[in-house]
Amino acid sequence: MNNRLLNAAHQLRVDNRRGLSPYITAGDGGLALTLQLLHALERAGATCCELGVPFSDPIADGPVLQLAADRALAAGTTVNGIFETVARFREEGGLLPIAMMSYWNPLGHRGWPQVCAEAKAAGVDGFIIPDLPVEEGAPIQEAAQANDLCTIFFAAPTSSDVRIQAAAKASTGFLYVVGRTGVTGAGTNFDPQAQDFLQHVRKLAGDLPIAVGFGIARPGDVAAATHHADIAIVGTALVGHIHQAFTSEEPSSEPAEAAAAAVQAAGNYVRELCTGLTFSTHTEA
Amino acid sequence: MIKQTRFGEFGGVFAPETLMASLEELEQAWRHLRADAKFQARLQNLLHTYAGRPTPLTLAERLSDEHGFELWLKREDLLHTGAHKLNNALGQCLLAKEIGKTRILAETGAGQHGVATATACAKLGLECVVYMGAVDAKRQKPNVGRMELMGARVEVVEHGQRTLKDAINEAMRAWVSDPAAHYVLGSALGPHPFPSMVAEFHEVIGKEARAQILQQANGLPDVAIACVGGGSNAIGLFRGFMQDDSVEMVGVEAGGEGMEEGKHAARFSGGKPGVLHGCYTWLLQDADGQILPTHSVSAGLDYPAVGPEHAELQKRGRARYEYATDDEALHAFAQLSEKEGILPALESSHAVAWVLQNATALRGKRLIVNLSGRGDKDLATIFSLRDAEANS
Repeated sequence: MNNRLLNAAHQLRVDNRRGLSPYITAGDGGLALTLQLLHALERAGATCCELGVPFSDPIADGPVLQLAADRALAAGTTVNGIFETVARFREEGGLLPIAMMSYWNPLGHRGWPQVCAEAKAAGVDGFIIPDLPVEEGAPIQEAAQANDLCTIFFAAPTSSDVRIQAAAKASTGFLYVVGRTGVTGAGTNFDPQAQDFLQHVRKLAGDLPIAVGFGIARPGDVAAATHHADIAIVGTALVGHIHQAFTSEEPSSEPAEAAAAAVQAAGNYVRELCTGLTFSTHTEA
Repeated sequence: MIKQTRFGEFGGVFAPETLMASLEELEQAWRHLRADAKFQARLQNLLHTYAGRPTPLTLAERLSDEHGFELWLKREDLLHTGAHKLNNALGQCLLAKEIGKTRILAETGAGQHGVATATACAKLGLECVVYMGAVDAKRQKPNVGRMELMGARVEVVEHGQRTLKDAINEAMRAWVSDPAAHYVLGSALGPHPFPSMVAEFHEVIGKEARAQILQQANGLPDVAIACVGGGSNAIGLFRGFMQDDSVEMVGVEAGGEGMEEGKHAARFSGGKPGVLHGCYTWLLQDADGQILPTHSVSAGLDYPAVGPEHAELQKRGRARYEYATDDEALHAFAQLSEKEGILPALESSHAVAWVLQNATALRGKRLIVNLSGRGDKDLATIFSLRDAEANS
């Protein structure tokens, strides 16, 4: 399978490096801003990106991402609009691997074979679906595989070894490790217990790279997260930064200025977080 | 790993991975305890000596005489706390206690499930937190007070449409954050094993009703009718008559203010299949898969998805699903109040409304309606509508 996300994640292992995967909510601030943000994330050194499809009922998200989805939907964001934005990003030369992160319904109600064909045509590289455990994964895996797209499943601190192994087996690109129980954006402390869990998951996942998310906000968090994980995911904190920059401009200023401020804030923040990717300077234990 | 989670193509277990261990644990416990004589005896004892089962079956004589049918009412409004919800709340809380849980989470729409769960928790000594949409907390205010009086904490949800859907979102988020708690889902929906388990705790309604109508009317009903929000009272009644091919089954959804988008909660009339709150079923959604707002005068039917077993019964043609509008339900509420001396819940009024709307076609037939709850909680709504009418 030739796929940007798969290749990028695999390359981290080959090079013995760590990576950063920022999450943004598509359409928060409008899809024109989303397009600029994708370029900014790529320039800032992101390994890949999670592009959130806004949903009316996000049961695994905390208040920050709920409100981002509300804003995106109020701005008229649709799945077709997101596909068009990704296609445009590719036309403009964007190479950043993109995983669409969406609850089942906004994509699945169309039927997975159709969604996968559309995603592939747009230049999407994979799917992350927070309300999809491995039990329900088969139809999506089949359609994704037929279109050379990655499917990324989850491991949580509550998951049994059997479940983690099944999720790793069903995943392509990487396995998404939930750093702690809870909704998005509630803070993580990478205490020794969390490190033990990540080390354990890494062992169970074998050759499959693992990414850890939930509560990463500072370069120090990135460093701690990537002690055992290949990729650190930053979501809520980045979405918060972007929104703050986008809305802090004077109300009288041009929309372009607000967008420029948001793009700059996103780039600066991701660059700062990437300084936490210190793992390559020491060897693996 | 969980297997066999579906009713035909509907149902499933579409839950975040963080919850899967809890769902597996719940499924195993339920599989074990449903066949455990001691557990069942304890539950039966609670239902008989605490909840007030069996509930009576009442002939609605004046309405029957007026319309020329034979209308029987299964009186779940007479169950302790005033609705069928206690069957499930007692069952799940007893199960939760059995597996060592000390903290209970629940959502509520009309407040009846919240009250039932608060009641079961008080009785069994469990901590209870109930999530309720701000709109519902206002229109069902007495139930908020009842829950608090029984020691539950009520968390008012201000996000989204601020009704049942948003209360479930928030309860699920709370469960994701605290998977050691037990989430007492209040209807026959959500991820497996909830739809099966909740239906089984309500089967007692249909079993009693079947035995009672055979004894009191000397025969089976021609039609069994129940309102359908998530569908727990309806599945409880229907399961009692599932093997009786001669018994037609009708579920009545909320037609709200009519079939315009956002004005109703008639999923089978205006929806299509998709995934919400853990299961694949019929939902009200827009062309982009976003869940649509709903409307119903009754908070308990004001929900965009229907329980997956109903989706399967509809597909198989074993049950059919109709709807009654707000106005029809309010008319039925008045009829039952004035002619039978029963103030029904606005939810249950929808089932009676379908009967009254189809009275001519139903002439000569024996009917059984599940009167799933009493209307005391709805008096504020009824009075404000009456005052508005008087002032208009």
